[in-house]
Amino acid sequence: MRRALTAVVAVALVAGVVFVAHRPDQAGAQGGGTIEAAVTFAGAPVIEKLKVNKDTEKCGTETAIEKVVVGPNKGLAYAVVSVAGAKGAATAKKATIDQHGCKFVPHVQAMTPGEVEIKNSDDILHNIHTYSTANASINKAQPKFKKVMTEKFEKPEIIKVTCDVHSWMLGWVAVMPHPFFGVTDANGATRIENVPPGKYSVEVWHETLGKQTKEVEVKAGQTAKVAIEMKK
Amino acid sequence: MGRGALIARPLAVVAAVALALGAAPSRAAAQAGDATAGKAVYERRCAGCHGEKGDGKGPAADLLVPKPRDFTMGLYKIRTTANKVPTDQDLFRIITDGMPGTSMPAWAVLTERERWNVLAYIKTFAGEKLKEAPKKVELPKDVPSSEASIKRGKEMFEAIECHKCHGTDGRGDGPSRAELKDEWGNPIAPANLTKRWTFRGGASRTEVATRLANGVLGTPMPAFLDSVEKPEDIWHLTNFIQSLGPDSPHYATLVTVTAVTGAIPDDPNAEFWKKLTPNNIPLMGQVIVDPRNFNPAIDLVAVRAAYNDQAIVFHLTWDDPTQSADEPAKKLFADAIALQFPPQITAGPERPYFLMGDGSDAVYLLRWENGKGVSEASANGPGKIAAIAGGEARGNAVFTNGQYRLVITRPLVSKDATRPTFTPAVFVPVAFQAWDGGAGETGTRMSVTSWYYLRLEEPQSNRRFVIPPVVAILTLAAMLVVVRIAKGRA
Ligand SMILES: [Cu+2]
Repeated sequence: MRRALTAVVAVALVAGVVFVAHRPDQAGAQGGGTIEAAVTFAGAPVIEKLKVNKDTEKCGTETAIEKVVVGPNKGLAYAVVSVAGAKGAATAKKATIDQHGCKFVPHVQAMTPGEVEIKNSDDILHNIHTYSTANASINKAQPKFKKVMTEKFEKPEIIKVTCDVHSWMLGWVAVMPHPFFGVTDANGATRIENVPPGKYSVEVWHETLGKQTKEVEVKAGQTAKVAIEMKK
Repeated sequence: MGRGALIARPLAVVAAVALALGAAPSRAAAQAGDATAGKAVYERRCAGCHGEKGDGKGPAADLLVPKPRDFTMGLYKIRTTANKVPTDQDLFRIITDGMPGTSMPAWAVLTERERWNVLAYIKTFAGEKLKEAPKKVELPKDVPSSEASIKRGKEMFEAIECHKCHGTDGRGDGPSRAELKDEWGNPIAPANLTKRWTFRGGASRTEVATRLANGVLGTPMPAFLDSVEKPEDIWHLTNFIQSLGPDSPHYATLVTVTAVTGAIPDDPNAEFWKKLTPNNIPLMGQVIVDPRNFNPAIDLVAVRAAYNDQAIVFHLTWDDPTQSADEPAKKLFADAIALQFPPQITAGPERPYFLMGDGSDAVYLLRWENGKGVSEASANGPGKIAAIAGGEARGNAVFTNGQYRLVITRPLVSKDATRPTFTPAVFVPVAFQAWDGGAGETGTRMSVTSWYYLRLEEPQSNRRFVIPPVVAILTLAAMLVVVRIAKGRA
């Protein structure tokens, strides 16, 4: 029942966005514009520190679960900014996630559907354990001699990635249905280039602070700035 | 924990015999169950734990560890498939055989038809999530066990760091143990690989190899099929795991105390003790007196014993993932174990109440506590324990890789009426209690046994005493009474 309702809402949203967008049918590199997003959060960072009881030579003696990372000028890091409802081909470059220092690097990775290379540069056992619904969940061991594994995420969704050996390890993979997205840096900034001109709704997703959207108009050869403040 | 299984086990045997006689068709033949008929069976038999909606939240669920399966997710631990979806035979096997080490009993009391029907109904809870076709996992070519294979398995065990969760010696005491959570966020314990009979998905080589190859879904146990150096390493690992412990605990009913002429070593790791056959005694959660212990951490103690003209010496071995001392602020308590005897050994069948005696009949306790050592006490019930002055017992314990080994030495002859004198060739009632303080066990939150018997062999005897059938029957009967009481109160 609830799922049906969610589906109806989702369809309505997509329809709305498409209606708002009025974007030309030929989406391409030529004549596109740029979106410069600045994502902020006025609240305090949320970082849980904890003691490490194993693999300290690789993981350190203390580690942190970074739930909300706030940089200078309230810039919010690790937020996924995307152009809702946009269409475009998958990017050719294969996404990678490294397990380094008992952390997923990058903490948040965004990619178009396809293969992802999962690296283990720690020389100790990790296990890639994903939580997803559209894609099949994975729980595969990656011992020290298994330096790279290739996995496939074929359906758009946001996937949580954990390691059971090191319970603090937490990463996210945003599989986007188009190539118009970016992940904010330590200053809360990201750029999305070659966006076909049109009116869009820009969507921001953050692991702890949830979702927000903001309207933006992209003009050929110009940069549209959009500022989004995330709230608790 | 396992109480239902204790009752259900003989029924499973009966069913197995019936199958062997060819009375029933092979369990491998999948049948299309009738979900509507299955609903009635489900509501009568399964809903108590798994919930009417199949969400694993039945009225009894709160008390159970591990938690009953939530069928709405379509996630099953035990499967022979490479993808998420189990085969119908996988589910049928779990319904038929139950899950060792959990509260899931073997449902051989249901007819085969009823089991297929209930299976069909259970699948409806997951809806679309089980629509994908199951894809059988392909195991590499079997490698029979050999010394070389076990050696390679051990190398691989270390290379892929199984010890992170399962511990160096496989006792489920690895450094990641305390952090492990299942898909629902509930704490989950890694398997104790030395106790194969507790493996959730079965203890056979193929079953173990399958768990290694495709993991245990919804738990931290990952798939290793693509993560070993060579595919056949799955079998080397299997052979190594099979070498870590016996296939069954071979529970004892009588503890024989070996007669020795010389000194008896008080070092728990002395060669002397390794040469004695362990008498494995099963322990159950104490569920008669509040606060009760529905999920006991300690399920077995291996007892060895010897005596000479001066002393009687007990050697106890049990697994405990953490060595803990009293830290009540952190809800941690001292690990402890106790042997219980009647204060005086009489020839008659009367014995004090097995749960630390009662108001009219006391028991004698020989107790060891981590940090405090051995003490002697007299008890008139679980809350009424009084130390005996002038204790003469002493002990020596070691803790290595998730296992305690303890030696307790006591004079053979007692000097007062509060503690027994041990005489050769006499059947001495004995019971055991154990506490895993690291799991929050203290006071009546403990593991217990009913009365067992202990017998000091005659000094000149050099052959094992054959247990008289009467004693065996008495012990079994006592056990069944305890099980019934436990079930009644639970
Ligand atoms: Cu890890």
